[in-house]
Amino acid sequence: MSFGRVLAWIVLAAVGPTMAWLPVSLLAKSLLAQATFSALFALGVGFLLRQNGMVSFGHAAFFGLPGYMLGALLPLRLMPPEVVICAAVLLTGVLAFVIGLVFVRAHGIAFGMLTLAVGQAVYEAATRMRWLSGGNDGLNLKLPPKLFGLSLNTLQQPTGMLTVSWLVMVATLVLVSIIAASRFGILTEAIRDNEERARFLGYRTLWPRAAVFGLSAAVTAIGGTMFSLYNAFISPDTVHWTASGSALIMAILGGSGASWGPVAGAFVYFFLKESLDSYTTHWLSIIGTALIVITVAFPAGLAGLVPWARQLIVLRQREDRVAGA
Amino acid sequence: MPALEVSDVTKAYGGFMALNGISLSVEPGEIRALIGPNGAGKSTLIDVISGRARNWTGNVRLFDKDIGTLNPAQRRLIGLSRSFQKTSIFPNLTVRSQLRLAAERVGGTDSEAILEEFGLTALADSNAGDIAYGDQRRLDLALALVGRPPLLLLDEPAAGLSLEESKHLAEHLRTLAQRWNVTVVLVEHDMEVVFSIADRITVLASGSVLAQGAPDEIRRNRAVIEAYLGSAA
Repeated sequence: MSFGRVLAWIVLAAVGPTMAWLPVSLLAKSLLAQATFSALFALGVGFLLRQNGMVSFGHAAFFGLPGYMLGALLPLRLMPPEVVICAAVLLTGVLAFVIGLVFVRAHGIAFGMLTLAVGQAVYEAATRMRWLSGGNDGLNLKLPPKLFGLSLNTLQQPTGMLTVSWLVMVATLVLVSIIAASRFGILTEAIRDNEERARFLGYRTLWPRAAVFGLSAAVTAIGGTMFSLYNAFISPDTVHWTASGSALIMAILGGSGASWGPVAGAFVYFFLKESLDSYTTHWLSIIGTALIVITVAFPAGLAGLVPWARQLIVLRQREDRVAGA
Repeated sequence: MPALEVSDVTKAYGGFMALNGISLSVEPGEIRALIGPNGAGKSTLIDVISGRARNWTGNVRLFDKDIGTLNPAQRRLIGLSRSFQKTSIFPNLTVRSQLRLAAERVGGTDSEAILEEFGLTALADSNAGDIAYGDQRRLDLALALVGRPPLLLLDEPAAGLSLEESKHLAEHLRTLAQRWNVTVVLVEHDMEVVFSIADRITVLASGSVLAQGAPDEIRRNRAVIEAYLGSAA
């Protein structure tokens, strides 16, 4: 990784904590913290889109599952709460990997429908298994007074949570970028582009594709865990397919060409939604229109704007040189 | 011991017999051409040998090892490689990174040497989707030849190339096969390419072997002339 890139990551990491300690309203800080949860959700969805070329309509299940796991396991006091939290993320990833071994055999719309089916199955379970999930009323999480050395109060106040969730988001983004640039990332991109060729080069293609599905679910689960810790509450709305749809819109808006695309898309979507919501109840139709325009005019999303601008600058410089000569 | 031995291979698509009890044997270092009219079963035979086709009967042996139950990836790892009728590359990866990926799997091959061998060094950092068609065909062949597989199956390697490029490809293939000791089985419609590089030719018609022999024998074979070559030879 180049020095410039490391510096860019450090600057990005510093943005959140700086915002948290600036004299900005608590509401703005709270919204920013919530945007980071959505960003992690979209990052997982975008990772699947980028590495496998697959669209999931059921990732909300992986966003909500860690919260339900915390709700079920923490009161049992079987393990330290920090271990339970890490295990919830890990288990979600492993579960998705196992499901992925079957699901990634399907392509295109069939894969999308399978993820939708699992997502809705989790939603149904969340609404019907009242004894475990609290049904439609949701589930209050019994969190300990301290987690990872931080007081619960810190994690449930906008200032503290914004600092923590921003750092977690940037760390996850760095990790996802490293994976995408690794040999595994290049292999999965190759499989996405031409699975048959990859097979005829000697690669087994099922495991890497399932691993991408598992990793994308784990990334989404990190966002879901932060969400659950902040709210100390989880409800079936969190795992509904419309939440998966929103994350997909964020990922498409940001573009999956670069790892940071879905994160940027999530922030734009989140704040656009919040701004429009105060003016009209039809905010979704405005976002829908914006999505159509972006998909047609900038199919590569926000992430595509950077190479586009770079190309534009190079062309301008060349034109100037020609004019100068 | 033959490099490749195909015995009594039969493959049907519904009621259509694509291959009807085909048998052939290819010696190590040989360049064997499969020719025949469209629908003769040439590409299907390549698919059976490479593991792409399913539900066939018969026997396929690579250096006396039965490979009939192995999947394409396993066949590649024991030294059977192939190219496709349509260019089959990774358009969003650079030329270098996909050759590296191919080399890493089979081990031991210097992808830089392959780049140089196929005249792709200047294009190494370009995305494969952005390079010219002729260069993509060369990249396709380079991918298939990474690791110097003992047996290479080529499905119409000269398709879409100009006369000049086809000639160059034929010469290059001939030299590489000798230098790297690669046995080649190729399907090709360009008779100039076939007759200039093949050691032996197998002619297929309606899923059966019509004739086998040296290029001169095939050129003179009356049945082959009537069924396929016409005045092309």
